[in-house]
Amino acid sequence: MEKKSGKAGGVGGFILLFLVGLVGSLIVGWVVFPSLLFSQKTQPIRFSHTVHAEQGMECEQCHYLTEDGQFMGLPSTESCADCHPDETGEDTPNGKEIDKFVNEYGKTGAQVPWLVYQYQPDNVFFSHSAHQGFQCTDSGCHPPVETMDAPPVYEENRITGYSKQTMKMWQCERCHAQMGTSNACYVCHK
Amino acid sequence: MGIDRRAFIGLVAGGVAGTLFTPIPWKMADDLSIWSQNWSWIPRVPKGPVAYAYTSSKLCPSGTGLKVMTVGGAPVTAAGNPDHPLSQGGVSSIGRSETYMLYSPARVKSPLKKVNGKFEPVTWEEALTALAEKCKAAGAKIACVSGDQTGTANEVLSAFIAKQGSSAYYMVPSEKQSAAKAWSLMGGAGQPGFDVDNADCVFILGADMFETWGSSIRNRKAFGASRDASGDAKAAFIYAGPERDGTGSVCDAWIPVKPGDLAMVALGVAWILMEAGAMPSGPGAAEFVSYVKSNCSPDKVEAACGLKPAVLVGVAKMLAGAKAPLVVPGSPCGQGGSAAAFMAGMALNMLLGRINKPGGVVALPALPKAVDGAMDQADILKNDLLAFLKDAGAGKAPEAVLFYEANPAYGLPEADAMAEAIAKIPFKVSFASFMDETAALCDLVLPNSLTLERFDDVASPYGVAFNVYSLVKPLTKPIYDTRTTADFILALAEKMGASLGFASMEEVLKAKVEALALAGGFIAKDVQPWQALAGSSAPEPSADLWADLEGGYAWVLAAGAEQTGLGYAGGVLAKAVKPIEGKVVLAPYARQTSGTPVMGIPAQNLTIVPDNELINTATFVKMNAETASWFGVSEGSSITIEGAGQKLPVKVHLSENVMTGVIAAPLGFGHSAFDQYSKGKGVNILRVLAARVEEGAGVAVWDGAAVNIA
Repeated sequence: MEKKSGKAGGVGGFILLFLVGLVGSLIVGWVVFPSLLFSQKTQPIRFSHTVHAEQGMECEQCHYLTEDGQFMGLPSTESCADCHPDETGEDTPNGKEIDKFVNEYGKTGAQVPWLVYQYQPDNVFFSHSAHQGFQCTDSGCHPPVETMDAPPVYEENRITGYSKQTMKMWQCERCHAQMGTSNACYVCHK
Repeated sequence: MGIDRRAFIGLVAGGVAGTLFTPIPWKMADDLSIWSQNWSWIPRVPKGPVAYAYTSSKLCPSGTGLKVMTVGGAPVTAAGNPDHPLSQGGVSSIGRSETYMLYSPARVKSPLKKVNGKFEPVTWEEALTALAEKCKAAGAKIACVSGDQTGTANEVLSAFIAKQGSSAYYMVPSEKQSAAKAWSLMGGAGQPGFDVDNADCVFILGADMFETWGSSIRNRKAFGASRDASGDAKAAFIYAGPERDGTGSVCDAWIPVKPGDLAMVALGVAWILMEAGAMPSGPGAAEFVSYVKSNCSPDKVEAACGLKPAVLVGVAKMLAGAKAPLVVPGSPCGQGGSAAAFMAGMALNMLLGRINKPGGVVALPALPKAVDGAMDQADILKNDLLAFLKDAGAGKAPEAVLFYEANPAYGLPEADAMAEAIAKIPFKVSFASFMDETAALCDLVLPNSLTLERFDDVASPYGVAFNVYSLVKPLTKPIYDTRTTADFILALAEKMGASLGFASMEEVLKAKVEALALAGGFIAKDVQPWQALAGSSAPEPSADLWADLEGGYAWVLAAGAEQTGLGYAGGVLAKAVKPIEGKVVLAPYARQTSGTPVMGIPAQNLTIVPDNELINTATFVKMNAETASWFGVSEGSSITIEGAGQKLPVKVHLSENVMTGVIAAPLGFGHSAFDQYSKGKGVNILRVLAARVEEGAGVAVWDGAAVNIA
């Protein structure tokens, strides 16, 4: 008479462990893997878009197109310093951030190394000028930062080095197709 | 409880199946493909506002105006400035490399001092103190060697050694110096210039004018302007030289002439013009007529050079029949040109009545100096660097020598002997931007900031028919711990108690520009200088010259120096005209793609160096099939060239663009210094080139030399 081994086995054991493997891999794939793939970074300055919006500032005061079509996506240290030339000395969270900017960048002249959520790879030519007819956030391209008191966490892909929000090519192509715009290679890859 | 084999397979199968329904395989495949394209050595596109700034190239001898694109303030690319008369939108491969060379691995990144045969970094203060002590000790036994053919920095450096009591200031030999010596022998005043823009028949006597002679980009533009695609050519171009090179191949005719025979050919044409009634007058005319009539008849030219009389007659007819003929003498390799050929070519211009005429020869008056005590350019050009270094090699070196933008250990004929001579100089300082062959021999290397990092200027490059002045201004902070040499010399003079009266090169240049404003001239904007030479009214002088120069425009003065003593120097010519004796003549040529002695080969240019010049470490020389048959060699054969006591291994490339009896060899290879893009690439042809001194003229010449082939 065969002695019972005490191990999970047979068809029941196969199905049981198949399910364990299936569920486990789904958890790893959907929960663990994303958290491992992306590192989280914070902006060098906790810039509050809402505070600036409440002051009556328009987006275009800092993010604007020049006459030749260049998009000035990030304000320079000099332009920030126009409004924040000196330390505030305030003990509030916002005051401390302003003082941090003044001391580390305004006084040294260094540019703030902002983390840009949507930078495209070098081989992609994206023109904001050609996309002026679209809303920045409603179109799904940018997060609605104007409603945020603190910038969203920047998630960087550990393998590619790109931001998690970097738009993929299929997204560009889909929108182009929907808008009836050419999807020829040279449209984006010069 | 354990699991058996079947259950384990179930676990794995479940895991695999589940994984397929997660992002892992698909995201990983996508990300890994992106990762594989993002290696650390791939340059990244900088982010930031794109802007354009204007300056002029100092690395390129043609002195072209540059339009530099900056991204976020960092220079990215350099193109030709369409508003600059020497560029007109064109740029040489050297000018284009100004941005790339900022990041060259060969750059000297900080001041270096040689200790026990090895360089060690020092601070600028330490370097200043050390050099001040050495200069004080040397006193008047100090010399300077400069490779800057166009800069006011020469005023600063020459004034500095003049304060020490020395006049030993030497320029690295160039077309400018060869011409200056020959022009001086003819009694000419000013710097010879050639109004190619207004000429309708240009006889190019050896000068590789679309590559290495004069302001080559401006020459190309003038040639292009004469070739309007909508109609007939407005000017004929004839090239006489040993190789149908970049210049000869686009001209209307190529006349094969060995370097040593260029003077004879020009005088053969003069003989025909004189037979047709042209009569020289002025100093030396009698000897000239006598010599030409006795020695330069077409049959004698044929006997000496193998050139059919009909060819000479054809050239003479074209020149005599043109409204604005012009003869442009020069060296096929951009240096070491024959004084005899220059004088013979200029004699032709005089015979044709082309001095100080639109489309003719316009010698430029000297520009005002800014620095008190600076030597006159004409006096500097009389000093002979080759003779100086040969004396140094013979133990007559001064105590200290400053090398500014100069690499004579590589870029002179008999390069090995020159390097040995430099090694014997007791104390030597290089202000090189790159670790070149001469810097490697020096005791101190004090890196000069590059063009885009410094204040400097470009004044009237050789060959242009109008005085032209362009400003060089910093477009970025120095990438490394470098300084503008002129700033350093001004500080050195101050420290030694011999102030030159300026605190910075910027101040010197502002004084220079003030002096220029007083000299007249105008900004080349609505009216170009060649239009002014042709009779157009010159516009009013600039109201703010400095601002216009900063904006990338050039100041120009379209007026020729008065010639009161110009003659034919017949007596000198009679002695100087001699062929190069030997079965085969080595004729060097230079290409802008191979850089210059002070910059090495720009890394990005290596891809456009052709396979008939360099493959891996092998240099190719060109000869035609007939010459090859003399030596029993064929395409790809390995040969050895012997000359100047040296032997160089090269390979053969057969080309019918080279005349019989000539081996055309590329300069610019065979560096023993710089970086991996220059070092060990081929051989330096200058090592087997021996300079010959032309009798009567006393000028060293190395545009060709007899060599042996083994």
